[in-house]
Amino acid sequence: MTSAVTIPRHGGTGGRTAVAARARQVVKAYGAGETRVVALDHVDVDIARGQFTAIMGPSGSGKSTLMHCLAGLDTVTSGQIYLDETEITGLKDKKLTQLRRDRIGFIFQAFNLLPTLNAIENITLPMDIAGRKPDQDWLDRVVDTVGLAGRLKHRPTQLSGGQQQRVAVARALAARPEIIFGDEPTGNLDSRAGAEVLGFLRRSVSDLGQTIVMVTHDPVAASYADRVLYLADGRIVDEMYNPTAEQVLDRMKDFDARGRTS
Amino acid sequence: MTVLKTSMRNFLAHKGRMALSAVAVLLSVAFVCGTLVFTDTMNTTFDKLFAATSSDVTVSAKKSSDTGETTSGNGKPPVMPAAVLDEVQGVRGVKSAEGTVFSTSVTVVDADKDSLSPSSGAPTIVGNWNTNDARTMEITSGAAPRNAGQIMVDADTADKHGLELGDELGVITAVGTHRAKISGFADFTVTNPGAAMFYLDTETAQRTLVGETGVYTNVNVTAESGVTDDRLKKDVSAALDGAYKVQTAQEVADANAEEVGDFMGVLKYAMLGFAGIAFLVGIFLIINTFSMLVAQRTREIGLMRAIGSSRKQVNRSVLVEALLLGVVGSVLGVAAGVGLAVGLMKLMGQMGMELSTDDLTIAWTTPVLGLVLGVVVTVLAAYLPARRAGRISPMAALRDAGTPADAKAGVVRAVLGLLLTGAGGYALYLATAADQASDGSLWLGLGVVASLIGFVVVGPVLAAGVVRVLSVVLLRAFGPVGRMAERNALRNPRRTGATGAALMIGLALVACLSVVGSSMVASATDQLDKTVGTDFIIQNDQTQPITEQAVRAVKSVDGLERVTEYKILDADLITPDGERSKNETINAADPSYAEDVRTKTVAGDLANAYRPDSMSVFEGFAEEHGIKIGSPVKVDFKDGTTATLTVRAITSDEVVVDKGAMYASITTVAKYVPAEDMPLDILVFATAKEGQQEAAYQALKTALHDFPQYQVRDQTDYKEALKDQVGQLLNMIYGLLGLAIIVAILGVVNTLALSVVERTREIGLMRAIGLSRRQLRRMIRLESVVIALFGALLGLGLGMVWGATAQQLLALEGLKVLDIPWPTIGGVFVGSAFVGLFAALIPAFRAGRMNVLNAIATD
Repeated sequence: MTSAVTIPRHGGTGGRTAVAARARQVVKAYGAGETRVVALDHVDVDIARGQFTAIMGPSGSGKSTLMHCLAGLDTVTSGQIYLDETEITGLKDKKLTQLRRDRIGFIFQAFNLLPTLNAIENITLPMDIAGRKPDQDWLDRVVDTVGLAGRLKHRPTQLSGGQQQRVAVARALAARPEIIFGDEPTGNLDSRAGAEVLGFLRRSVSDLGQTIVMVTHDPVAASYADRVLYLADGRIVDEMYNPTAEQVLDRMKDFDARGRTS
Repeated sequence: MTVLKTSMRNFLAHKGRMALSAVAVLLSVAFVCGTLVFTDTMNTTFDKLFAATSSDVTVSAKKSSDTGETTSGNGKPPVMPAAVLDEVQGVRGVKSAEGTVFSTSVTVVDADKDSLSPSSGAPTIVGNWNTNDARTMEITSGAAPRNAGQIMVDADTADKHGLELGDELGVITAVGTHRAKISGFADFTVTNPGAAMFYLDTETAQRTLVGETGVYTNVNVTAESGVTDDRLKKDVSAALDGAYKVQTAQEVADANAEEVGDFMGVLKYAMLGFAGIAFLVGIFLIINTFSMLVAQRTREIGLMRAIGSSRKQVNRSVLVEALLLGVVGSVLGVAAGVGLAVGLMKLMGQMGMELSTDDLTIAWTTPVLGLVLGVVVTVLAAYLPARRAGRISPMAALRDAGTPADAKAGVVRAVLGLLLTGAGGYALYLATAADQASDGSLWLGLGVVASLIGFVVVGPVLAAGVVRVLSVVLLRAFGPVGRMAERNALRNPRRTGATGAALMIGLALVACLSVVGSSMVASATDQLDKTVGTDFIIQNDQTQPITEQAVRAVKSVDGLERVTEYKILDADLITPDGERSKNETINAADPSYAEDVRTKTVAGDLANAYRPDSMSVFEGFAEEHGIKIGSPVKVDFKDGTTATLTVRAITSDEVVVDKGAMYASITTVAKYVPAEDMPLDILVFATAKEGQQEAAYQALKTALHDFPQYQVRDQTDYKEALKDQVGQLLNMIYGLLGLAIIVAILGVVNTLALSVVERTREIGLMRAIGLSRRQLRRMIRLESVVIALFGALLGLGLGMVWGATAQQLLALEGLKVLDIPWPTIGGVFVGSAFVGLFAALIPAFRAGRMNVLNAIATD
């Protein structure tokens, strides 16, 4: 199975597609000739709007590469990627940067914040860069949701790891991007702080209708998602809806076992 | 051994980051070595030249100088009768003797009456074509002059002015103007020292230069083989009863070499001084580089410490890296220095002095000095960062890498810096309060050094405040990009402080000198306005005397109310206290000079100094020798007899024009100096009748058209010329300070480049969340501009205080007016912003090109 195109292309949300992003026959290869390594092998995928999608897979499966390509951080070797109806493959750096700034939010595993800016400045940074005024009501709501109201003037070094990631979540949410990409956003946190951050992500999907794509290798993290995509050797090999942590773990054990026997 | 190995690897791993520091070392070392090689080569060249141009023994008039220069006050060379030649020819051991006549008090013009003198200030020499010249020159076309209508020119001068065979030239001397057509060209077979050479036949040379035949300026003697120069000198001297100066080739060469050596010595030490400033600036760059490398390597060093490296080993590994940097930079610097010297020689060639690379002289001390200096300075500069590296705790290995903790500017630093600055300020205050220039200059020096060190120490503390103020004014307009640039400039005040301080040093000197220079011009202008009562000044810019013909031409101009002649004479003064002051200068002028330049007096009326057998002395001289109005002073004229003159006026020392002059009237002086030895005028002043200034000015210019060597200037022109002169000197100094400023710019580039590397992850993050390349580059440029402006603000502020202090001090010497050249200061400030932009070019470009994903993934 190399395709995860299971969602109808047109939904009922005011004429906009129900698909927030899609990849068509995406190939990402490094090197050439004998040393050619294929990270993504003709991948087709649709990311549903208003859903929390987790991408899982063993190290080297191409899950991070897929996310980077979807987010316009990396270029593809062939194939197309669309954000809503905009084809982003082939866009120049300037357009891509604008796209990331205005339509995409990011949460990285670590080092999400600029050390010279305080929490609120970090949260509004993408809008500042764009020269847009943040919507104050929305900003207050986001800040409230992530529980940072008392720490907005703190510098990153004065915040705990969990708090830093919450600031990162708030930054991603504040600009109301069409889609948020998380690259192991809880990878550096203990389970309690991780659960907190995942809780916020879940709620922003359920309550605020945000679209989120998250790469993770943690079954517990994946269990917060509406849908889990499994990648192996650059292909989508399986998917699962409304998973529990146990189901995810079992499925991964399966892949592991299959990987070993084959 | 492992220490060396890790140092080597670190050095090689960071060669890019080391490159700029190496360039700084290279530039400073190159400047030192280049200066030494260049001056040594010049000396070699001149030694060879003098050796080639001197005869075994030279006989000349007693009055001529040891170097054979012939400029004397009356515009004619000192001569000896032709009989001397006959006598010398009869001396035992003389193989041959030849009489020569030549003069440097000449001007040669082409058919358009344009002067053919070298613009470099090198002399114009006219003489008879003799065997001595034939040794160092060869006739390349035409022939040597054979009659009064012919003249031969050196090929370089001919090329420069496009002269051709048959062109008519005019030789203007104190005797008159002689016209002749070019008969040939001669080219130098040795180095052309840049002089313009013209040759006449012997009789014409005598007539034209001296005004009579049968005289020579020199007799060049060649010894028979087996007779030493010293032996020959003794015999010739004895035959002439010691009435003439007799020198061996060695003595002439030595005298010449000494004169050139004096000049080269000044040049050498001035240039080495500027190299020293560049070194000082380079130290900041090196400290910064190593501080940043140590900071970036904190985790690595922590790991080394955790697995058992001692503090000493870590410390030493950094110093060994510095040693490697010093060696690489210095070796390249020595090589570049030789290149620089060759470049300077080429430049001299452009200016008319052909230097041959065959003479390139590299003393063994030059590379040794360059290497030692470069290595020692580098290692010393790296000492502080190395010590800091040694203090890194093993725990650092375990901490998250991230950006190194902000180095806070400490309280100790602030207090120490302020104390030093305060001490410097107090010393500067004492300098302004001093009533003797010599005491004051000591305080000034102390104040400059203390305030500079104080500013360097307190710089990081100031950085926080100054950068904020600059940001409010400049960066806020750039929105979030400006804000981030501000924060970045502020995040490590020590780094910003040191980078700014490097620029500060050069700019402080520029500001100080510009204030002093412009105060000099302003004070002189002010004095001219207050004291000068004449309209026109006629002079030669190479201080050649003004011939009688030219003076007559001036006097013949209509519309002039008066013309004042002005001469200077050498004399020993015997004062009433019984002391003999040797080699003083008497300024002899017409009485109207008292109106032309109204010099302030502290006692007596200056007009009275021009009465018969009267004179004036200056304040300092009067005090030193207890002279009062009416005191008799014996004046022993070099070229005449001793006069006893009465002091009728004492002039103030607080003047700029004619400072330290002692006046007497020309009529008085003429009583004691024979007419033939009376020097020509050195200046002539002309004053127009009321309302006829414009017409008189034009008429004067027309009258002096035949004498292109003299310039007529009205007061406006004169002030302009004065300003140009000071301006040229300042520009030369600025040019040399440019080296220090270039090193400082390298420092800004270095800091930014290393900062960009250090902030790779941040840059990746910002790019990921939507910062465009353009915005990123702008952010780095703005940071650079703020750092540069910080350095400029400190430097200009400090420099202006120094300059104002120097002016206050020099007010004692007549520098009354403080003039701050705001356009220059403002220009430098704005220029620094551009320097900042320029310095950020490459770092910004590289930051913009970073791959976003790789940048985020960087450790």
